[in-house]
Amino acid sequence: MFEHDFPALFPEIFLINATIILLIYGVVFSTSKKYDYPPLVRNAGWLGLLSVPITTPLVAVGSPLAVANLVYNDSVIDNSTYFCQIFLLLSTASTTVMCLDYFKQESSNAFESIVLISPPTRSMLFMISAYDSIATYSAIELQSLRFYVIAAPKRDSEFSTEAGSKYSPSGAFPPGILLFGCSMIYGFTGATNSEELAKILTGYEITLFGAQSSGIFMGILFVAVGFLSKITAVPSHMWAPDVYEGSPTVVTASLPIAPKISILANMLRVFISSFYDPTWQQPFFFRSIASMILGALAAMAQNKVKRLLAYSSIGHVGHPSIGFSCGTIEGIQSLLIGIFIHVLMTVNASAIVLALRQNRFKYVADLGALARTNPILAITPPITTFPYAGIPPLAGFCSKFYLFFAALGCGAYLLALIGVVTSVISCFYYIRFVKIMYSDTPKTWILYKPMDREKSLLPAITVFFLTFFFPYPSPSFLVTHQMALGPCL
Amino acid sequence: MEFAPILVYSVISLLLSLISIGVSSLFASSFGSAYPEKLPAHECGSDPFDDARSRPDIRLHPVSISSIIFDSEVTSLFPWAVPPNKIGLSGFWSMMVSPSISTIGSVHEWKKGASDWE
Repeated sequence: MFEHDFPALFPEIFLINATIILLIYGVVFSTSKKYDYPPLVRNAGWLGLLSVPITTPLVAVGSPLAVANLVYNDSVIDNSTYFCQIFLLLSTASTTVMCLDYFKQESSNAFESIVLISPPTRSMLFMISAYDSIATYSAIELQSLRFYVIAAPKRDSEFSTEAGSKYSPSGAFPPGILLFGCSMIYGFTGATNSEELAKILTGYEITLFGAQSSGIFMGILFVAVGFLSKITAVPSHMWAPDVYEGSPTVVTASLPIAPKISILANMLRVFISSFYDPTWQQPFFFRSIASMILGALAAMAQNKVKRLLAYSSIGHVGHPSIGFSCGTIEGIQSLLIGIFIHVLMTVNASAIVLALRQNRFKYVADLGALARTNPILAITPPITTFPYAGIPPLAGFCSKFYLFFAALGCGAYLLALIGVVTSVISCFYYIRFVKIMYSDTPKTWILYKPMDREKSLLPAITVFFLTFFFPYPSPSFLVTHQMALGPCL
Repeated sequence: MEFAPILVYSVISLLLSLISIGVSSLFASSFGSAYPEKLPAHECGSDPFDDARSRPDIRLHPVSISSIIFDSEVTSLFPWAVPPNKIGLSGFWSMMVSPSISTIGSVHEWKKGASDWE
């Protein structure tokens, strides 16, 4: 019965209540004449940040490390959702930490932009544990709505407005495709629940020629396209660079982190446990190749930092898709490791970009002589970006190596080859960072203000992880193996 | 099948309104030869002094947005209101969650002053 689900839904219930309290607190005090209309962004930011360490133990306590179906089989809790949710909460916490100083510098008084972090976190928690296509869709819509709002907070900036107006239609289109796919599948099977779909679609052999059910084939194809477009895989990546560049840097920083984790976790649930079939792997295969090639080649031509981050994140979408294209336990495990390390690297890169942005840090060339003005910060981008490129003794190398290893293990030699070649190409622009920082002497030296303490913790922690991942990788391998077993079994 | 009379009714009312407009033009005097004074916009007798364009009032938008939100709220309350004795207390309380969340939303709107209309 529904009443018994409450203990397992504690994290979500807590987040909803925390959001409500924070919203009311913020709106009452920010409009109060008695306190002289205080700007509550930083205050609300700390309170919002506080709700994350409370939710994380609730997730940990609420899930008994066993499989449980909740809310009339609409959501499920098992090992994979449990670890994904904790990881998602940690990444949300890092996003909030990035926001703390940002709004003060921007002198933005909209505390709602902080309050708007919790509702999508809650819907991403739902999305990770969603076990029904309707639950999936509603969770995706709820989390994207927030990003449409916060992509356009600066009314006086044309770029921000353009980014917001570009993001809302192009972000709303993929869920529409996904919804059409879900309705096709529902129309041809009569089931929306993942478990029932898994039972119906077992051994269905939906090949393109010799199709047994073209309706189900079209449904799965649309679902795959919707999901892949939502994580900006290549043919539908067009909006991403403009949105990443135009929207405020905190939004750029949070876009590739938390939504990607939750959407990939949901894709695992849908594609590995519901429609386990080799046919949907073809779109993943092609889009993985296309993303890697375009990400590597287009990022070479970028001069602006945020566009470079966007193309780099597009290129990195190709790597989880390799794991999907394999469909083996090793493939999924390597995918999860890939996400884990990619998110750590993105948190690091975003924190650095945010820390440097105070003096209009817009172009890559503005990094000039950073090695002399700020030597310790200048060490960090090489440690972050070399793993992006996959240079040996660092974490990114480990994740890429394991991905290509899984691709080779399942016979996807072409994927592994293209992955390696694009990694080599992408070394070019990652090494260009180092060249600019260490050997260029620009005409105008840009002196950056020091980072605030909260934000400086993020690069420190992530650099520590990325450097010392390789000597002791077994915990993360064990955890991801456990997670990979969740949807596979 | 109950909708068939409504369809017929709407067709008849359309015809009736067209007839009542058409008949008045049949009996109108000097149709198409009005004085030029009768044609300009009516602004209390004087000529209009400024541009006909004006900045759209943003206060109209919160009103329409909140009415869209509360329309959907009412839409979800209709099926709840019909069988209250079948769903029991748990149905009652699970349905009370959604109006209370929109109440929070309207409190936010109210404190922000989005519904002020001085």
